Amino acid sequence: MDLLLLLLVLFPLVSALPLMLPIKAFNCRHATWSYAVLSTLITFVISLVALAQFDFSAPGMQFTGAVRWIDAFGLTFGYGIDSISLWLVLLTTFLMPVIMLGSLSAVKVRVREFYFWLIVLETFMLGTFVATDIIFFYVCFELTLVPLYILIGVFGSDNRLRAAKIFFLYTFTGSMLTFAGVLYVAWFNTTLPVNFFPGAGAWSFDIQTLYLAAASMSPTEQGWVLGSLLAGFAVKVPLFPVHTWLPLAHTEAPTAGSVILAGVLLKLGTYGLLRFALPMCPEAVVTFAPYIGVFAVLGVLVTALICWVQTDVKKLIAYSSVSHLGFCVLGLFALDAGDTGAVGAVMYMINHGLSTGALFLCVGMIYERFHTRDMAKMSGLGRVIPVWASFTVFFVLASVGLPGLNGFIGEFLTLLGAFLSPSNVLGFEYAAIAGVGMIFAAIYLLYMVGKVIFGPLKVPDVHNDDDSHDLRDLNGREIITLLPLAAGCLVLGLFPHGVLTSLEAPVGRLTAAAKAAAELQTVYVDADQTPADDPRAAELRLVLDDRPLPAIENTLQQPPLKTAQQEAER
Amino acid sequence: MPIELIKLVPWIPLLGAALCGVCCMKPVWRKAAGPISVLSIFIPFLITCGVYSAAKHLNDTQQVQTVYSWIGVGEFQVNMAYFIDPLTMVMLFVVTGIGSLIATYAMGYMKGDRGYARFFMGVSLFIFAMTTLVMADNLVLLYLGWEGVGLCSYLLIGYYYDKPFAVAAAKKAFIVNRIGDLGFALGIFLTYMTYHTVSLSVVTDMARHAVEQGFDPTTADLWIPFLLMLGAFGKSAQIPLHVWLPDAMAGPTPVSALVHAATMVTAGVYMIARLMPVFQLSPYALPTVATVGGVTALFAGTIALCQYDLKKVFAYSTVSQLGYMFLGVGALSTFGGIFHLFTHAFFKALLFLTAGSVMHALAGQLDLRAMSGLRHKMPVTCWLMFAGCLALAGFPFTAGFFSKDTILAEAMVRGTGEHGSTLFFWLAIMGLATAFLTAFYTFRLWFRVFMGPEHFEMGDDDHGADDAHGDDHGHAHEPHEMPWWPMNAPLAVLAVGALFAGLIFSGWMTTNIEESTAQPAVALNIQTDPQTAPAYEIIAVSDQADTHAAAADSHADAGHGDDHEAHRAHGIHVLLKWVSSFIALLGIALAGYFHWLNRPLTDQIAKRFSGVVEVLYNKYYVDELYDLTIVKPLRRLGHGFYLFDQFVINGLVMTVGYLPRLVGWSVRPTQSGQIQGYGLGMVMGMALVALLVFKWAF
Amino acid sequence: MPLNAIDSLALSHFLLTGAVLFCLGLIGFISRRNLIIMFLCTEMMFQGVAVSLVAFSRFHLNDTGQTFVIFVLTIAAAEAALALGLVVLLFRRKKTLDALAWSDLKG
Repeated sequence: MDLLLLLLVLFPLVSALPLMLPIKAFNCRHATWSYAVLSTLITFVISLVALAQFDFSAPGMQFTGAVRWIDAFGLTFGYGIDSISLWLVLLTTFLMPVIMLGSLSAVKVRVREFYFWLIVLETFMLGTFVATDIIFFYVCFELTLVPLYILIGVFGSDNRLRAAKIFFLYTFTGSMLTFAGVLYVAWFNTTLPVNFFPGAGAWSFDIQTLYLAAASMSPTEQGWVLGSLLAGFAVKVPLFPVHTWLPLAHTEAPTAGSVILAGVLLKLGTYGLLRFALPMCPEAVVTFAPYIGVFAVLGVLVTALICWVQTDVKKLIAYSSVSHLGFCVLGLFALDAGDTGAVGAVMYMINHGLSTGALFLCVGMIYERFHTRDMAKMSGLGRVIPVWASFTVFFVLASVGLPGLNGFIGEFLTLLGAFLSPSNVLGFEYAAIAGVGMIFAAIYLLYMVGKVIFGPLKVPDVHNDDDSHDLRDLNGREIITLLPLAAGCLVLGLFPHGVLTSLEAPVGRLTAAAKAAAELQTVYVDADQTPADDPRAAELRLVLDDRPLPAIENTLQQPPLKTAQQEAER
Repeated sequence: MPIELIKLVPWIPLLGAALCGVCCMKPVWRKAAGPISVLSIFIPFLITCGVYSAAKHLNDTQQVQTVYSWIGVGEFQVNMAYFIDPLTMVMLFVVTGIGSLIATYAMGYMKGDRGYARFFMGVSLFIFAMTTLVMADNLVLLYLGWEGVGLCSYLLIGYYYDKPFAVAAAKKAFIVNRIGDLGFALGIFLTYMTYHTVSLSVVTDMARHAVEQGFDPTTADLWIPFLLMLGAFGKSAQIPLHVWLPDAMAGPTPVSALVHAATMVTAGVYMIARLMPVFQLSPYALPTVATVGGVTALFAGTIALCQYDLKKVFAYSTVSQLGYMFLGVGALSTFGGIFHLFTHAFFKALLFLTAGSVMHALAGQLDLRAMSGLRHKMPVTCWLMFAGCLALAGFPFTAGFFSKDTILAEAMVRGTGEHGSTLFFWLAIMGLATAFLTAFYTFRLWFRVFMGPEHFEMGDDDHGADDAHGDDHGHAHEPHEMPWWPMNAPLAVLAVGALFAGLIFSGWMTTNIEESTAQPAVALNIQTDPQTAPAYEIIAVSDQADTHAAAADSHADAGHGDDHEAHRAHGIHVLLKWVSSFIALLGIALAGYFHWLNRPLTDQIAKRFSGVVEVLYNKYYVDELYDLTIVKPLRRLGHGFYLFDQFVINGLVMTVGYLPRLVGWSVRPTQSGQIQGYGLGMVMGMALVALLVFKWAF
Repeated sequence: MPLNAIDSLALSHFLLTGAVLFCLGLIGFISRRNLIIMFLCTEMMFQGVAVSLVAFSRFHLNDTGQTFVIFVLTIAAAEAALALGLVVLLFRRKKTLDALAWSDLKG
């Protein structure tokens, strides 16, 4: 049992506790802030240790371990990471210190509680990513709502209570259905014969066990389980049309909350889809992927146009998140032979976390100065705060998907994946139509830049308590806040090869079953009537039905059927 | 010089850009940005010169220089790799050579401007993107350069960012380019799907092989060129995506010269030339390219006739000349297209920069109507621009004359003879008409500005550079000649190029194109496709006939010997040289008459045809049309979607949220608050339970 | 034969008595609005249950039930003291013993 991950997850929780103890030193805002920065930095260092010790060549989960909880129901806090989780954990631990740095001047009352809940939130986010037990995942998934509910409800802007309530209820309702689906799969496992595979026929919530159990589910059952998983995860992503909580929550949340929400919490949805939906209900995924794809494409286009007519900068970026994550979902459900789409989608999660998180920080800095985010009230800020303007333009370009910066990698790969996707899953028309979203992204983001940063100078009237006309450019702390994010955008844009390569194998394991199902469907419309004499089909069935892990590894190494056929044709 | 050094070519400008970025931070450092930027462009030029001879003798493995692995998922592997062939070298010469000259000029032009360092950061970054574009070994890296130059164009057009029109122009340029880029991206996807690689060297080899074997094109083969073409139209400002280029003149003049005349806008031509065999695979692709090019050339030429803005005239002239280049590559004459690109870079850069000098001298004045007879005030500029105008007008033996003639003759060769297509015949005629227009509007401008009675109005719209100059020379009310260093000296070099590049580099260019992937593939098996195969053959022959007229016969023998065709092609080339010389002289003469000698008559004619002038002045109302049919409806759609999102979708969600409340409200009356009521309820409930238990249990 | 009469008393007689007591109390509780009467009625239901307990205890010859009733009676006494005190307090607040005066839970 490896204790590194346990330390990683529990350290923030433990380090948050002193903030709520009657310690006098924490009455000073700067002391609390420094403590929070230090705490999150240590967490980041721990995650870097994990990165250093991680063996990228080994398959499966690493640093695994489990803490027993309720034996009768097979409940454990099982943990472990593969490279998908690893990069998302790093994203989280990387963003947290940045957020802390950026929050010093944003929060001036109830400072202790603010940092306490932020650090607690980090624990839960890390918990979801390291969980190998689905209940552990689910508990952390739900518990992330509590700190954020408080962060929005207490530290948000004018309409905060309504936003917090809607945010909580909306996502909670969805995830209750997800819980039902998870319970069903676990129950289904108990109904299987004990000697079917290790762990069958008893209560267990271990993800690997449930993968094996879910393989025996009928397509109808898979459909219902997929539906229930989607109910929770699609709301979290958020997929059009269940996205309406997001703009409200973003607009009302404090900057730190927005950054975490866009940077990490939305990724829980896509992560859940990848980790649970794709391997557990492959046949249903293939059946429903075209419809999910339609909603993803619709989301990309519709919300992009909505962005264009916003006047509130923060709302614009909030809606842009919906639009961007449409690409991500499109990539996840592409199921192309080379996993371009799914790997691109994971890359997209990381990239979107960096660039959109940074944009929210930039907007937050403007809000601190002018106490407004209304585009009509400001213009030409590039002249007075050039450093801020340079950073914002940089992150806007990353967000637009300029090659050489990080946004491009994910966008290009997800679209390529959708383009290469088998025609019974998504197909090129999805990529072509979603691609229009790239144009729209340029339109609305440059529209924002043109309004706020360029143009004749216009500064909003401020009636500030501290200093009436706050026209100072970014100070050192704020530059240090944004600099790591900018560096991350650049590095991931120019050198993504290592990350992409490390993602290939684990993503391939998760999509193998769904890809096999898609291919079976291409060859034989009714998958149950597979002729016994076709060795390739039999092999695919093996991957699909039994999914013992070695078999999946084998499928990954062999060239897929379709490309082989195409080569023969050429 | 070892060939590996060429890997440094894109990265030195990037380093330069980073250093310029550092220079932005302190006002004291700003002055260093100009020299840094010039050096960061000039060193790559030296490297290019140094490795040129080595680059001619590369084997297949050396041709691709890999720096590192960029993107990789499964089979999809994209390297930061450069493809070195003669075409690349030609483009590198253009980009770094012209780039250094323009950057040197800009050191003087931008002197004292607030954003001096920011400007040079943009220029260096642009050279990074542009060199990456021309050196890229794969389509994705090409796309990086492609979007990168778009970004720099955006930043540099929006250089005067507090002027709303500059901001709008920058945004427009980026977005219109993005539309083309979407086509390009989809083209890359389809290429990868078809060829299982995005490597240019491999793709062109495979396509060339397919063309030579008379391969029957698949649907994908038919579509790839059309998708890529869209990208080329966007970047090179061809109809229907030409609208951004004239507006792009809002940027500083050196930017117009470098980005929007000499280099970036020619990227589309370069891309088509580079992927020539891929375009040949689709029988409809190249004729489409040629048609769009020919139509754009004429269309933009007519608009240029009636513009009064100095830079707008040149902008439309650029669009028009780019149309020529597309006509050239569309007529399978990559030599003509790239040669025109090469000569155009010289004379158009020269024209823009001299226009910049005039603008600089007149404190931002650009209106043709507000200036006249400036030859005494600015003699050097006057004659430098004269050289540029001669080349643009295609005056015999200047650079533009050779390259333009090659294109028109090639189009004519394709349009006549046994297998000639009417389309190319008419395109060639349109090209000749455009040649006349070009000569006319070019000299209209020159005669208006420098000849006639001396008269000028200073502009009120002075940019930062003038402040500094005002301090230096106290010239605020008088136009003045530019200093030799750093402004006029680079212009003199460009002028020499504009006059003599055609004579000097013709043979050099021919060999370079022949040895690169841009050389059109020739179908070996004529029988497979009677429609297109002979045409390829003719072109392949005539291409050589043009430049090696003497050796035409022996070449014709080598390529499926048809002496008759080669003779015919040679005849057309000679004839076209005479015709276009005549047309150029006629255009210049007429311009001289109407715009120097007899200006009142011109004004009368203009008044008579005021309707036509109005339409031309307003650029055929294309901007208004797009605004009405695309921008406004989309924006309205955006508003509509926002309302839909707010009320319908959010309304549904809220309705669902209200359902529990509704249920609660409907059963609320049972909650009477009286203890007896609850007691009764309890008893009834117990009774019910008892009943059920007894009913089911017994 | 009076002794026999008692002997012939079956368990059902006692249970019936308990049930009648309980039902009377129940009806009283539901139909009356005077707080004291309602309280007395609950006591009556209570005693009905106690009678049943004693009867079962005797029937099964198991003393636990009767012991339990002793306890219950003790607690009932304590509870009566408390409840009547509450009623007095409630009366002081509203100057009425009507239960309707205390319908704050009305939805």
